Amino acid sequence: MMKIFHESSTILFNRHVQNWKTGGGKVVGYTCSYVPDEIFYAAGILPYRLRGVGAREMNIADAYFGPFICSLPKCLLQLASEGKYHFLEGVVVTPGCDSMRRLDDCWRKAGEDITETLPSFFFHYAVPHKTADYSLKWFIEETHLLKCAVEKHFNVTITDAQLHNAIDIYNEGRLLLSRLDALRCATDVAISGADALAVVLASTTMPRKAFNSLLMDLIAQIEANTDRITGRKRLMLVGSANDDVELVRLIEGNEALIVADNLCFGARFYADLVEPEDDPVAALAKRYLFHNDCPRMFGDYKGRLSILKEKIKRAAVDGVILQNIRFCDLHGSENGIFERDLETAGIPCLRIEREYGPLVETGRIRMRIDAFLERLEK
Amino acid sequence: MRKELKEYPFDWMLWRAFAAAARLKAGSEKEYRQAVNQIPYFRGALDAIYGIGEPGRLLLEMVAEYFEKIIHAEKRGQKTAITTFCFSPAVFYALDIVPITLEMMTVAMGATYKRGTADFLDYCNEVGFTETSCSSQRGSLGAYLAGNGVTIDMVVCDSPGVCDTNVNAFAFASAYLDKPFFQLNMPPDLIAARSTEYHRADYRALIDFLEEQTGRKLDTAKLRRILEEVVRQDLLMAELEELQILVPNPLPVTFNLLIYAGRFLYAGMPQCTKLLESMLAIGRENAGRNQSGLSSGREKLRGFFCYIDHYGQDFRLWQLLDRMDISYHGNILSKMWSQDAHYVKAFDRQKEGYKIDTTDLDTLIDSISDLNSRMPMIKSIRGPYDAPHMWLQDTLALAKLHKADFIVYNGTPGCRNTWGMVKPFARDTEKNGFPTLILYSDAFDMRVESWETTASRIEEFLKVRRLCS
Repeated sequence: MMKIFHESSTILFNRHVQNWKTGGGKVVGYTCSYVPDEIFYAAGILPYRLRGVGAREMNIADAYFGPFICSLPKCLLQLASEGKYHFLEGVVVTPGCDSMRRLDDCWRKAGEDITETLPSFFFHYAVPHKTADYSLKWFIEETHLLKCAVEKHFNVTITDAQLHNAIDIYNEGRLLLSRLDALRCATDVAISGADALAVVLASTTMPRKAFNSLLMDLIAQIEANTDRITGRKRLMLVGSANDDVELVRLIEGNEALIVADNLCFGARFYADLVEPEDDPVAALAKRYLFHNDCPRMFGDYKGRLSILKEKIKRAAVDGVILQNIRFCDLHGSENGIFERDLETAGIPCLRIEREYGPLVETGRIRMRIDAFLERLEK
Repeated sequence: MRKELKEYPFDWMLWRAFAAAARLKAGSEKEYRQAVNQIPYFRGALDAIYGIGEPGRLLLEMVAEYFEKIIHAEKRGQKTAITTFCFSPAVFYALDIVPITLEMMTVAMGATYKRGTADFLDYCNEVGFTETSCSSQRGSLGAYLAGNGVTIDMVVCDSPGVCDTNVNAFAFASAYLDKPFFQLNMPPDLIAARSTEYHRADYRALIDFLEEQTGRKLDTAKLRRILEEVVRQDLLMAELEELQILVPNPLPVTFNLLIYAGRFLYAGMPQCTKLLESMLAIGRENAGRNQSGLSSGREKLRGFFCYIDHYGQDFRLWQLLDRMDISYHGNILSKMWSQDAHYVKAFDRQKEGYKIDTTDLDTLIDSISDLNSRMPMIKSIRGPYDAPHMWLQDTLALAKLHKADFIVYNGTPGCRNTWGMVKPFARDTEKNGFPTLILYSDAFDMRVESWETTASRIEEFLKVRRLCS
């Protein structure tokens, strides 16, 4: 069963997307965990979290982005320009961070130069950076605008009933992912961090109903299985977006196990449910604006530290790996204060800066992980 | 951080340096020459500043006074707020808060000392802040993180939605120093009704925050006086910038720096008004004689800097431009987008401009909110660069209006928001007929690229594009 999850997590145009397209379905990609999948599900569209896996070079992306930019949006632009995202009918870009925000500009410009690079639906979804009452009001309006734009462009009607149904199905998925999370945090762990990441990644590319069903089976299988992974150091992975199963595999090696995370391709993605209320758009806006946040929500450091501490305790973590993609200053800087405060609390930390994309730094990272694990031995 | 750097508090040292610099011309010319021989790395800047006459002295006095207020804030029972250049300090003055504008502190240090702000930049990294962050805040933030400056009471910024690396410096400072934090958050659009509504709601929340931190209520009469002064300053700036359009440009190259320095430090305060009036007198005089403001009196080229300047030691950028007979036509920092600004009128862009209405407290707050949402960078780097009212439209309009011969982009490697699209941006300005140079230097850290290299790139660009021989 894990093979299906791994395939969905490593192949952009995986068999689920192919089947969806063969059935006449449409696919809309998005860049950030602040975009409500439910809007697309309710419209009969497959929401697909964009990733840069498989990018081999940056020659096209570098023609648009400057040199001091995170490699994740560069990989996305490179893949889009190479036609690897040919199956998308639309894209939603958010101001998740400045690098990702500028993907909007660069993708549109690349679309002027390279045919079939830019999908016909291209939407800038303005997510506020704070959670004040007027920010929520803005975000509810913005979510309505997104809904209306989808309806208009794809000639569909999204009813409240469809949205409520979508919320139920995505909440079910979140609960299942949380159950998997609990299994990872348990004393006897039955699933590696690499496999767990593959499951989460699959959830961002597969039709959600099919995913829920598969995950239910996987959880049942794990619960029934008596084999446990033992004798490894229990680590938590924190920081920039990581959608690379190989990075987790590299960290885990034979001596460690990622038992917890607080990543946007991880716990942050499924941690909070949409609370039902009469207006489904308002309910979505609340969940997505207030959910377990990332440092783009400036000024909420203490809240994020408290989430980390709670999870470190719950998962009996031996050490925390604080990683950031180069030029990801938001995570990189916050990792610096996390390190100070967690080390003060007696929790060993390792800070790593890395590039997104093919693991060109395997040796360096492996060496630093080994040294960190040696520290944990003492 | 090196031990000797902690011998004197960073901000106290700057105060003493600028206070001394402001008095240098009080004696004879011979005494001045003797004195500047003792400060070889600040001499060029001082010569350039004093070379423009009274405005130069006023600038030095104004900066010295700014630092003096920071140093003595606690003793005077005032709260301090670290803040950013793109945040209008008028509201702080209305609430008797002393603003500490990090970028201005960084520029002052970088321009004055040979070592620049290297130690403070690096100290930020030592305590966990990323080395890829913007150097404009880091250059002085390091001193405060090290406890080598006055006590900070609060952190206030307005760049979320505009510039991550800017706001991240303030968020980091707040978390690291455990100080109260407030951010004004900018939507990607400038003039839509819901954006205005958002700006204004956000600004009212800011006032609540500041009142809570200071224990004071906003004084309507004081805010009105300050905003009326802002109106006077806007008119003065509008006339100064209008003079820049003339051929030849009658303003000395450093005037643009003085315009935004005055505004960032003392918006709404008489110190800024006095400086602008003094500058305008010189500008009018030169214009009346149809004389260029350049030292040689000959204008060969007209340059427009679409982003920021280069603040490396001794203000060498301005020295280079003056030496090459290139008149300076502004950058993103000097444009204030008042409805009185000549470029707002010239292009019938009143909707993008702000207007100060002093009728009552509500209109005052709405006005200052509108003003703040049109501060440099905040106005035009928030949305897609090619969207209406944004960076490309502004740059092309201003470059055309000022009859610029070329455009230069200079920033910092930490500037994610512009490096994310400056290549297609420059392609568009080129398509519109403006030779455009992208500099890869760091405006605040000459270790990234030496000034000599930056200068040679500017000269090479002008030669290759056949703009000068």
